[in-house]
Amino acid sequence: MNVKHKDWTIKHLKDHLQAAVDLEFWTIPFYMSAMYSVKDRSSQAYQMLRTVVNQEMLHLQCAANIANAYGLSPTMKAPVYQGTTIPHLDFSLDNPKAIAPYKPYTAEIGALDLKHINAMCLIEIPEYLDGEKNIQLQSKIEEYGSIGAFYQALRFGAYLLRDSIQGGVRQVDYFSAFYRNMPNMTITESGENGFDQIGLLIDLITDQGEGQTKKDPTIPSAFQNTADDTEPHDDHFAKFNQIKNNMGHQLPDVYIGKAHGDYTDTDKQLEVILIQQFSELRNLLEQLFKGDNPEKFFSIMASVGGAISNCWHHGVTPRYS
Amino acid sequence: MKKRTVFRVHPTINFARFGTSEDYILSPDTSAGLPQDGTDITGGLPIKKGTESETITSQDLRDQDGNLKKQAARFRLYAYEVDKLDTYPSGNGTEVTIATQLPDGRTVTDLIWSSHLANKKAAAYNVVNNKGIEAYANNQVPQMRNPEVHGSIDSANRLNRLMIDAGPRAISAKNKEKASFDRCSTASWVRKNGKIETLPDYPIRFPIDTNDELFEPSGPLETLGDILTDEKGRLLVLPSMGNAVGQYDEYGVPIQMTGDLNNVGWFDSAADGPVNVTIVFNDGSTEEAFGAWVVCGDPAYAPQIRNVVSVWDDVYDMFVRDLNLQPELYNKVEGEKDFVFNPDYKPNFVQDIQPVFIACNLQRWTANLPPLALRGHTAVESISEDDNPDQTIMAALNFIRNPNKDETNIGMPLMPLSLGAAGTSFMTVTKTQYFFLEQWSKKKFETGKANRLGPGEFLDMSALANCLGGRYVPGIEVSYTIMDKDIYIQDWKTSGTGPFRIKQYPLTYENLDKETPYLSSGWIPLHNMTNGLEPGDVSKFMAIPWQTDYNSCSIHATAINTDGVNESNGAETTLYWSWPSQRPDAVYVAEEVVNNVLPKQKWSIRGPGTYAVNPASAATFQDPLQSVKDWHKIGIIVQGTNVDNDEQKYSPSLYLEVQSQLTNPGDTTDPVPSWPFNANPPKPKKGCPYH
Repeated sequence: MNVKHKDWTIKHLKDHLQAAVDLEFWTIPFYMSAMYSVKDRSSQAYQMLRTVVNQEMLHLQCAANIANAYGLSPTMKAPVYQGTTIPHLDFSLDNPKAIAPYKPYTAEIGALDLKHINAMCLIEIPEYLDGEKNIQLQSKIEEYGSIGAFYQALRFGAYLLRDSIQGGVRQVDYFSAFYRNMPNMTITESGENGFDQIGLLIDLITDQGEGQTKKDPTIPSAFQNTADDTEPHDDHFAKFNQIKNNMGHQLPDVYIGKAHGDYTDTDKQLEVILIQQFSELRNLLEQLFKGDNPEKFFSIMASVGGAISNCWHHGVTPRYS
Repeated sequence: MKKRTVFRVHPTINFARFGTSEDYILSPDTSAGLPQDGTDITGGLPIKKGTESETITSQDLRDQDGNLKKQAARFRLYAYEVDKLDTYPSGNGTEVTIATQLPDGRTVTDLIWSSHLANKKAAAYNVVNNKGIEAYANNQVPQMRNPEVHGSIDSANRLNRLMIDAGPRAISAKNKEKASFDRCSTASWVRKNGKIETLPDYPIRFPIDTNDELFEPSGPLETLGDILTDEKGRLLVLPSMGNAVGQYDEYGVPIQMTGDLNNVGWFDSAADGPVNVTIVFNDGSTEEAFGAWVVCGDPAYAPQIRNVVSVWDDVYDMFVRDLNLQPELYNKVEGEKDFVFNPDYKPNFVQDIQPVFIACNLQRWTANLPPLALRGHTAVESISEDDNPDQTIMAALNFIRNPNKDETNIGMPLMPLSLGAAGTSFMTVTKTQYFFLEQWSKKKFETGKANRLGPGEFLDMSALANCLGGRYVPGIEVSYTIMDKDIYIQDWKTSGTGPFRIKQYPLTYENLDKETPYLSSGWIPLHNMTNGLEPGDVSKFMAIPWQTDYNSCSIHATAINTDGVNESNGAETTLYWSWPSQRPDAVYVAEEVVNNVLPKQKWSIRGPGTYAVNPASAATFQDPLQSVKDWHKIGIIVQGTNVDNDEQKYSPSLYLEVQSQLTNPGDTTDPVPSWPFNANPPKPKKGCPYH
């Protein structure tokens, strides 16, 4: 249900910030599994997915930095991939015409196919396709129709509670060198000035990907990747649509997961390794966003990528919990 | 089957490295960056003069006047008992020195060493950086260097004016003789009976012979090096001072250097040529050994920083796949047409796999890697033979570019992330390296120490492993031709030579005429030339002068390899390292390290004359002429164990720059950004005013 703007409390804001972290984190294994299922690493599908996965990691960092500015060090719960449920999003609230081209979809982990690319498009669908909306704070985070609406509400709440912003607290920055035109990736200031920095990070998240509100789909130069993206001006929705449209001509050659009952002992071991490493990664991310500097963070993060690949190479569909 | 004794010189190819001092150190006998038994000091360090294997420390790199010492290429002689059909690795071989007694009772009384150094760069064809060896395909050749000098590639006019040929020299180890490959001494040669014969009519050629005057910014070019022997009769080949000279134009102005690779009117004192030895016994008999090859070129600025792909990796890969080196590794499957890697072959972790992991982590000492990459590389190097590959950061070889697929244009996150061979954006490991990694990934590998190589074979491997591979554009020590099987003795199994030995074009030094050049333009690739190489046929594929290429090959956008078009999966302005382990880019200065805490990195080439408007030209002398003058002032990267400092001890885990003469501690220099960083964007095209 709608609640009034004056009803924002710091708890409510923190719920939204944790939800933002959950949502960004949810996309990473989902997109990454699809990416590693593509056999040709030089293909457009693989490379576009790679750039989006990298930006989802950036968004996770941004969401965690904002959360820490409000005193919340986010937890990293194991994402759930079941049926058609994407956390905190209810597509039934969307403009039916806008989402119609992206059905059917699935929220289950799997190889890149039409259902998965549809899900990705739905997650990233921009507000300008989904119709203009008023900023509405929902009492339950699940009641937002799109990520755009969710972030608009979050931004509003963050503004109302800007006096609570503490700059320079548990801020993480692994991406500045990939965005040379971005003024700052962290919240260094408190109060009003800190809110300007928070607004910048929310703009980065929404303009690159989920819930873009502007009419022009081109990403502003400040938010464009300057290092390892050949289409830095395209947002996630545009990239996913390119993949989807190309799939209309030719489906990418992907690794296929076999039935669980057909798994060999080696297959089962690979599945266990991925689950263990992903669990360790969640713990390390929590430590990272709590201000620690966990030595193994990057090596485990990279190892998760290897473990996903290893699963697909053996016909094992990745599992994360 | 009766065995026969053969004699072979090792390393089959070795490298002498320029220095401005008359003094010298010795070429390393160990392989860059690899652990050595009983010491913290890793392989690749040069050896102190007059010692068997004592590694140099930082104060040994320059003489008391601050001049950079030369690095002598040390060659040894080994005796082998071989069957009719040789195998590799043989695992045997005994060193032969003066006074060695052979099993047949004969004692060695003298070793008559000989060599012949030449430099054909100015007389050769252009290096075409985006074509590589393909510039010679389809019976074509590139444009000649110095085309204004009349004549065809083999005309006497061009060779007389453009080829530097010091001629042959021969010396007796017993008599402790020394010979210089200079302009004014007399050539000499060893005849069949081991007697040294002077060759007064040999047509020695140096640039000053055909130029009234030369521009000599780093001194006159009147020698290509020297040969002498050590106390055991081993050969030492000393290079020149690495200087370069240029012609004056018709206005009396030195011809300006206009590029990195093919500067018109310039000569340098790099060289290469065969190395041979005649063994003299106490019964008066003599025997010829199978000879080797020496290349005189760039200093080793980072001798312990291992290349992920070294010349050894490339040459070994070629011998495995083209010259039947190890049939148990790569062979034809029954009933099949093609040769394939044996899926049951078990590489050794320490010998065949771990070097790639170690090389990965060593790149941090010469490149400006971001913190996350450093963590990743640490994790790669820490992989042991006891680890389950599936649980490591290298699981599924997820971050390795596959050389069997079209992946050379994929940059991040695939490794190695340095620039690739001609026509490709990024480098790949060799197919043999990748096969070994695949076997490891499948848990098909041996553990424990390998000990497969004999001592001479080990020297062959080490010498090549200390050189830049993978990216011969055109290269640092050698170019892509080093991977061409046509330059090698191909019947190595039956001839007794053993593998990796360059085939020498037979030079008899008869009918000499001072007016007529003795050497020809020599061997070129892809033209069915298998008669062997003449002196100068290795180094002629390198840049002229060498300094301009070393200087410029710091960091580039990938388009430099791909006809100016960005084919990579990244931004067109993103910069990558050209030869990070062999040509240091960003370094840690030892004097700025306190209590083993690393300071900020500095560019290896820094200080006055290096300030760059565009990051694409950072870490270089902005004027190529300065590179000709100041190359010897660049610092050297050595392990903390070997950095001399009375004030503090350095950790063995650090590799630090020492002995730079480009700046003083505390001097302000261009800052080193964290990677990724970008070149300035291309300037917008000017429109036509009439449209």
